[in-house]
This record gives sequence, structure tokens and C-alpha cells, in this order.
Amino acid sequence: MKLKKYISLTRAGILESLQFRLSMLVLCAGNLLYLIVIYFLWKAIYASSGQDSVNGMTFHDTLIYLVLATSLFNFMEMYTVWQMGRGIQSGSIVLELLKPMQYKTYMFWSYSGNFVVNFFTTFLPTFIVVCIVTKGAVPLGMNLLYFVIAVVMAVIINYNIDFFVGTICMYTESIWGINIMKQVIVLLLSGATIPIAFFPETIRRIVYYLPFQSIYNAPLTILLNGDPDIKDVAVTLGTQLIWVVVTMVISKLFWKISLPQITVNGG
Amino acid sequence: MAPVIDIKNITKEFKVLNRREGLAGSIKDLFSRDYKIVKAVDNITMSIGQGEIVGYLGPNGAGKSTTIKMMTGVLEPTSGEILVNGKLPYRNRSKNAQNIGVVFGQRSQLWWALPLVESFKLLKDIYQISDEQYDGMMKLYQSLVDIEPLLHKPVRQMSLGQRTLSDILAAFLHDPKIVFLDEPTIGLDVSMKAKIRTLIHALNKEKNTTVILTTHDMGDVDALCRRIVIIDKGRMLYDNDISHLKGFFGSYRTLKIRVDGDLSKESAVIAKEFPEFKVSADDEWISLLVDEEKSTIMDVFTGLQKKRRISDMQLEEISTEDVIRKIYEEGVK
Amino acid sequence: MKRKGLLFYIKLYCKILSQDLKSKMSYRADFIISTIGMIFTNIAGFVSFWIMFRNFSSINGWGYHEMLFLYGFSLVSLTPAQCFFDNNWSLRNYVYTGDFIKYCFRPINLFFYYQSEVFDVKGLGQLAFGLGTVIYSWIKLGLGFTPLMVLKMTVFLLTASLVMIALQTAAAATCFWINNSFYVLDLAYKFRDYAKYPITIFSPVFRTIFTFIIPIAFISYYPSLVILRPDEVPLLSWLSPVFGIAFFYIAYRIWMFGALKYNGTGS
Repeated sequence: MKLKKYISLTRAGILESLQFRLSMLVLCAGNLLYLIVIYFLWKAIYASSGQDSVNGMTFHDTLIYLVLATSLFNFMEMYTVWQMGRGIQSGSIVLELLKPMQYKTYMFWSYSGNFVVNFFTTFLPTFIVVCIVTKGAVPLGMNLLYFVIAVVMAVIINYNIDFFVGTICMYTESIWGINIMKQVIVLLLSGATIPIAFFPETIRRIVYYLPFQSIYNAPLTILLNGDPDIKDVAVTLGTQLIWVVVTMVISKLFWKISLPQITVNGG
Repeated sequence: MAPVIDIKNITKEFKVLNRREGLAGSIKDLFSRDYKIVKAVDNITMSIGQGEIVGYLGPNGAGKSTTIKMMTGVLEPTSGEILVNGKLPYRNRSKNAQNIGVVFGQRSQLWWALPLVESFKLLKDIYQISDEQYDGMMKLYQSLVDIEPLLHKPVRQMSLGQRTLSDILAAFLHDPKIVFLDEPTIGLDVSMKAKIRTLIHALNKEKNTTVILTTHDMGDVDALCRRIVIIDKGRMLYDNDISHLKGFFGSYRTLKIRVDGDLSKESAVIAKEFPEFKVSADDEWISLLVDEEKSTIMDVFTGLQKKRRISDMQLEEISTEDVIRKIYEEGVK
Repeated sequence: MKRKGLLFYIKLYCKILSQDLKSKMSYRADFIISTIGMIFTNIAGFVSFWIMFRNFSSINGWGYHEMLFLYGFSLVSLTPAQCFFDNNWSLRNYVYTGDFIKYCFRPINLFFYYQSEVFDVKGLGQLAFGLGTVIYSWIKLGLGFTPLMVLKMTVFLLTASLVMIALQTAAAATCFWINNSFYVLDLAYKFRDYAKYPITIFSPVFRTIFTFIIPIAFISYYPSLVILRPDEVPLLSWLSPVFGIAFFYIAYRIWMFGALKYNGTGS
């Protein structure tokens, strides 16, 4: 019976986002436009360089990587920081704290409906278009299964980081500032704007020790490798799992420590 | 004298989406939609003179806000004619705005982060109020309320009551001909309500400003309005003096008595003694709805007392609220 | 009632602005955090730019410093949209909750009154970054320096900025028709990232689209050609001020049209 309450939150989320049919269309169109820009830009870049492969990535690899990174971003963006920040400032968070569920769990599941909708409206169409445009450069095999597992863990890591940053809003009124800093750091260091393979050697090595690359770089590298070495996959997924646990513990702990702030400020 | 607001047979229709239920319904809604036409305001006619305070009443969703939005020029009527200060408000929104003031319940129109006095100064520029007029207004405000502590406080730090008060002062600042007050006392405590009513009353007297007041609070109506307009489901139910409204339903009062013994049996007996009045009983009281045009309360009471020992009694006035509830429920006969 | 001319509005804006700045000072922590966030965004932009050019020395015949000039130009021309028209971001909330109605009762231009309410100081940080970049690349490219060039630069920057303002305003105005228009605005915001690339990388079809329909080519590419490659200035570059004004006017009409048909539901 425990699962049922989560699923009904998911269902409500699906219903809610289906109310906005035009915004779904715009999201699709936006993705498509981005795909076009990225396509021409990198085509020009690769054409100017005169090489087929730079840092081990071909034009198609880069294209697939960047486009799917963006649609993963759209898929995972939960506006958690904004929601928490607004809730904390207006005091309405108190109502959510009274729900018979942990706040963190509640927030996640009430958004989960959007995952389902976004998967079908943004990720899947983009994926299919990319497959067609690159004429089968996306390998379709066991890597898809690993990719799905990696994405699930990426969603959790991303949410934990968001929740951690959202908690900071208990201490400051500047939601915009806090959120933009997080977004910039996550997008750059996770390899969402530029594949990590292009980073200079030293920076790349540092980035691999941070949790961010587990969000975009890990699942996308797995997807692009059609003939995965099971050992490499295990290492990537293992690293992700460690980050899932670490970010979860830290974000929960930080929330627990910060919670007394609310009862002072809120209302 | 020409009326400041003149409304003839206005109607406003809205297109409303019929949403289907459930997940399957939502997906269907994505592809095909089904609209229906709703009349928010249906053929309303009225005319309001300078200096009147009119209570505009009706249950939630009756069409009050829609009418006000048409008078302020935000909405264009689907049909009918509306003239405010002799002009079509929708066509001359900017010009109309110069002659009206608006307070919309809990939505402050002041600059959130600024101290009140700075908001006033900006309004002075926006409405091009002359220095003399501005100073005169501030003097008047000072004489009516203790405005000094409010002036230097940012609006966001004010209590709801202070904010409403400030909003009302801001609405009157440019000496408009008409001020629309949409539920100005909602959510306020008793003393603040009284303060705001006094203020509105004084400003109306002082400046001869027409005030259109929508409210659910009968205290506001009783304290401020001589004339009331009642609408429900977009149609006008009543437009006349408040005293006339009571007369409309006769001059009724309820006499409640307590006697020994079985109340329901006793009430049946009393009903036979006074067949012209409605008699009912609950666990504690027997109630008689007495029409004082037929016989006085004292006569009825003496009549009752002759036959039985009355241990306790109460007399209840019919309040405006009761009358209006009656109109909502039954309409005007 | 006196006529309300341009002078009236300029005076009023200055008054509102000075009041607004005064009250901003009272939120110092918020101001500092937002500014840091803005600086972060810009640094991340430069880092991405730098990483890209580490791997590729030129794009479609455009060298490092020329690209940097385009980038800097776009940052400067985006600043007015950021500083003066930031309230566009809140428009959908005002419309959704019905609070927009409070703007409808003033005897002044609705668009002016709405936009005047917010001045975004942190956009000035972006302006500093942009100007620095333009000046740096200007010197590195050895473009020379005459008063006429400065005049041209100023005029073309200002008119280029009208294009971004137009895009943002038109995108924001969609909320008068669409329930959840955040995605439209977000999409328009993302265009700023594409504005810095030379339009020549696109195929003719998309060149037309990005010139006349979603006119991002006028934010940086066409106007900066006047300075950057004075020997081969296309007609469209000279016409960019005309386009800037035209796009702004169209967007303004769309916004006003939406605002006037706004019926105040949600209350």
C-alpha cells in the first residue's frame, strides 16, 4: 500500500502537466531548434578543423552527446530550488511539512509525473530524431539497458544536489542567485554544455572526482559506446551509485540541521 | 444631474473549457476541446449618481467582479452600453483611469518595496496631481487617520490592515470621481474594519466621491451604504434603498420563548392560537415569526403569557444578512 | 489633464528607478549573491568558449578574436533587455494569479508602467564583462580607433539590443494566450546563447529563419560586421537599426494587444 500513494502523486503530476498542451509543443519545438543550431555549429566546427575525430569524438558523437544532454536536462530540470525557495519565503512550506510523508520524498514524487510526460514529449522524440539524423550512429544494444539504469541514478543525484541547494534558501532570500550558481556549475562540470572529452587533461581529471559528471557525462558515454566493456560500465555505474548514496546522506543531513530555521522564520 | 455611471443592458459572455475527467480524458483534451458559453453578466441596467455609496452584493461567482472590470474599462461588454463619466471606459481606458480609483481586496497596487510616502509621490507624478492638491489631500488624511507612522514604512512590512488602509488612501489621492472598493475589509479584525469604514465614509462626505463597494460583510453594508444592488448568476435581483429592502419583506421580528414541558407539543398548540404566524420549535426555543404590521410583539407576548408560564424569552431582528440570504435563496417575489 | 509626452515618461522612469535602487540597497545580501551568480554565469560562458577554441582554432573562417568580439558584442547588446525588461519574467505569474489587473488602472502607458517596476542591477555585471571583451578583442584585432567607429558602435549596439528586447517581450506576451508560457520565455532566453555565432554557419533556409523570423542574427552578427569587417558589409548590416526598431515595435504591439484583451480571470 505504501507504493500506492507515490503512484497517485505521479498520476496527479501527469494530469497536471497534460493541461498545458501548448507548452509541450513549445518544449518540443525548442528542442528541435536547439538540435538545428547544434548541428550546424558543430558541422562548421568539424569542417573547419579538417579532422574526422577530435579527442576521440566524431561529429556524430558530439552531436548525439550534446543534443541528448540538453533533452536530459529538460527531462531532469525540476525547479526544486525555486519551489523550495518560494515555499520557504512565503511560509507555505509548512503545509507541505505536515503531509504524512517526508518532505524530500513528497517533493520528488509529486514531480515524478513530469518525468513520465517529459520522457514521451521531449526525450523520446529527440532520441528518434537524433537516430534518424545521424543515420544509425546511435548503437542500439545492451548499452540502452545500462543507459536507462544510469539515467535513473543521474536523476537521483541531480535531485539530491537540487535539494541540497534548495535548503540553502533557508539562509538567504536570493533564490535566483543561488539557483543560477548551481545551474552554471552543474551544467559546465557535468559535461552538459561541452563534452568532458574536450576539457584539458588536468581539469578533466579533477572533474572525474566530482559528482556532477555522473549526471550527464556518465549516462551519455555509456550510450555512445556500442560495444561496452562490462568492466568499464561497472566502474561508471559503481561511481554513480557511490554518489547516489553520498549526495543522499549529505542532503538529508543538511536538511535536518537546517529545519529548525523554518520554525523561526516561517509563518 | 447626469449620472456618473450609466449602464444599459450590459451582458458579458465567456468561453469556458469543458474539461474531461481522468487520465484518458486529459489525453483526449489534448486533441479536441469542447467549449461552452457562460453569461457572467446578463442584461444589467443601472445608473449611479455623484456622491452615492452603492453596496454591490452577490454570492461568489455572481458576476460582481466582471461588472466592476467593465466599469473600469478592463473588460469590454459583449453587448449593451456602459458610460462612465460620459465616456466608454473600454475605449478610453487611460482617460477613464484618471477619474477612478480602485482597491482590489488583498492585491496591493502600491510599490511593494517602497515606503508609503514614496508610492504617494510616484502616484502624484503619474496622475499629475498639483502640489496644492497633494498637500491638501495629505492634510485631510492626517486629520482622518494617524498616517504618520505608516508613511515611512515599506508596504511589504505592513500588516494587512495597514496595507488596505494605505491602498484606500492611494485610491483617493488623485481625487477621482469614482472609487471602486472590492472587498476592502476582507480578512481584517473588528477594530480595523471599523476604522476603514469610518475612513471611507469620511472621504465620501468630504470629497463627494462615488463609491462602489463589493463585499460579503453585512457590517460594511449597514455602516456605509444607503443603496444596494444585488446580483446572482449574472442577473440583477434588487436595486434600491437598503431600508426599502427590509420593508419589502415586511417588518418581521422573531420572538423566541422557553416554556416547561414538551416544546414540540406546546408549539403545535401555539400554532393553533396564532394561525397567522409561522411557529417552529427546536431543543430549546419555540420561535414565532411575527409580522408587526398585523399585531405588535407585545400583544403576541401578552397573549402567550396568559395561557402558560414563560421561563425565558428573546427577541431577534431580521438582519440585512438574513434578508439577502432570503433573496439569494428565493429571489424577490 | 496635461499631455503625457516622452519627457514625462523619462522623468517618471528616473524617479521610479532611483526609488527602486534605494530599496534594493536594503537587500544587500541578495544583491551580492545575485551579482556573484551573474559573474559565475559569465565566467562559465568564457570557460566554455575557451575550451572550444582550445580544440578548434577557427569556425567557418572566423578566428578566435573575431569570435570573441561577436561574443562580447552579444553580451553588451543583451544588457538592456536584462536590466530594463526583467519584469517580463514575472508576467506569467501576474497573469496566472490575476494580479496583473492591478496594472490596468493607471492613466499611463501600460507597457511602460509594467516594465518600469523592475530594474535589474545585476545586468550591469554582464555589461562590464561584455565591454571588457569587446575592447580586448578590438585591440587584439587592431581595428583602429576613430570617433566615427565609436558612434557606429553605439548606434548599432543600441539597435541590436532592441532585437533581444523584442524577442523577450514577444515571448513573455504569449502568456496572455497560453497558460504555461514559461517554456516560451525560457526558449527565447536560450536564443541569446546562439546569438553569438556567425549566421554563415547555417544553411540558407535557417539563415532566413534566424534573420527574419527569429531574428537572432541581428543581436550580434549583422551589426558587428560594420566594425569587424568594414570592407564587406552586407546591406542587412546597414539595415539592422531599421530591423531593430521594427522588431521592437511589432513585439510592443503584440504585448499591448495581449494586455488589452486580458480579462482579469484568475481572481
